[in-house]
Amino acid sequence: MRSIVTRIGVDTHHDAEMIDITHRVQDVVRDAGVSSGVVYINTLHTTTGITINEGLPDVEDDILGFLSRLVPRDHPYRHSRFLPSDGEMAVNATSHLRSALLGMQVSFPIENGEMVRGQRQTIYFVELDGPLHREAVVHVMGE
Amino acid sequence: VIDIHTHPVGIAELHEGSPDLTRAVREVYGRHMPLQPLTTYLAQLDEAGIDEAVALPIDCTTAHGCKIVTNEQVAQLMELSARIIGFASVDPGEPDAPETLRRAVREYGLRGLKLDPSLQQFAVGDRERAFPVYEACTDLDIPVMIHCGLNWAPRGMAALARPILLEEVLQAFPDLKIIIPHFGWPWVDETVMLALKHPNVHVDTSILYSGTPAESMMRVLVDLVGIDLIDRSLGSQVLFGSDYPRVEPKRFVWGFDELGLRPQLEEKIRRTNAMNVLGLGGGER
Repeated sequence: MRSIVTRIGVDTHHDAEMIDITHRVQDVVRDAGVSSGVVYINTLHTTTGITINEGLPDVEDDILGFLSRLVPRDHPYRHSRFLPSDGEMAVNATSHLRSALLGMQVSFPIENGEMVRGQRQTIYFVELDGPLHREAVVHVMGE
Repeated sequence: VIDIHTHPVGIAELHEGSPDLTRAVREVYGRHMPLQPLTTYLAQLDEAGIDEAVALPIDCTTAHGCKIVTNEQVAQLMELSARIIGFASVDPGEPDAPETLRRAVREYGLRGLKLDPSLQQFAVGDRERAFPVYEACTDLDIPVMIHCGLNWAPRGMAALARPILLEEVLQAFPDLKIIIPHFGWPWVDETVMLALKHPNVHVDTSILYSGTPAESMMRVLVDLVGIDLIDRSLGSQVLFGSDYPRVEPKRFVWGFDELGLRPQLEEKIRRTNAMNVLGLGGGER
């Protein structure tokens, strides 16, 4: 069995943003040369998410809006203090909670060298505390 | 909006080939987060609605044998982006500090001076070392931002950064434009007292001690100082500042918006006061 780990850099431009990484993941899967197996897509961060949904701007807006309503800014969160290990204020509880709701990993089967993906399924890297330079990991396993 | 207070310590381009900077940022400034490209810094300004930002170095040669970003690196950033307004830093412990400052302003076009007595570990009232630097600022007609209050840097010594220590400086240099960041927290009353008495004292909003910027600004500016006092007496002296990267500028903008200031006062704090103190022109009286 082969195991191929590839990092994908993502430059985000907004506080919250859904970025379509489907084609980049497809390219990694094809380049891996695995005919049968599975691909995992993870984010390396705790204030971003990875999710699958229909690739439409209105759906993207509704997802981000829903997360904002579920986790409002004006709540006295405990994670709101200086963090010496970072040397920065850790005042982004909303980003962590939205990320927890959304999830940080998705996976797809690989069949005949291609991801088995629904026609309307778009893979999103979701920025929840940007703008930042971010990284996702695509892990292909199979034969 | 002009952000009067950012530290470009996490910009990756400045660290390339500069291991001394990387060490200084970690060990002296106390920041341990991954570096980000300049484009991210600019995108963060965009997201916050900030047009221009002041980039601040700190020369800690005598105290710690390092510079937390050099004047030359600030000049490099200014070449890369017209949105960056550079300040210089000099070490009052070095005899040629006034001349270094004059050269940085003339050669690189830097528009102010940053001093941090708590981190640089000098006495702001030191007539032999510090006063010649203030004299150079007055000659050059540039503002000096002098850190006051809590310093998150592990090597910072707050006892050297009490606002009241600046009183003798203000008396000796009545034309020197001084910016006291963080409202001098926890010595807010000393800061406000100096600003009330001396119109050449400016203060910035980068109040960070616990909670979000929205919470800390609300507690200090609304509950402690009072928006009525700021509007009546300090309307031309308060500057928008974020202290990036201790916190992202967007969070200060969000918090600032929640203060509910009069539009005219809001505009002065967001931009006009900074233009005046930086001598950029276009400000209003």
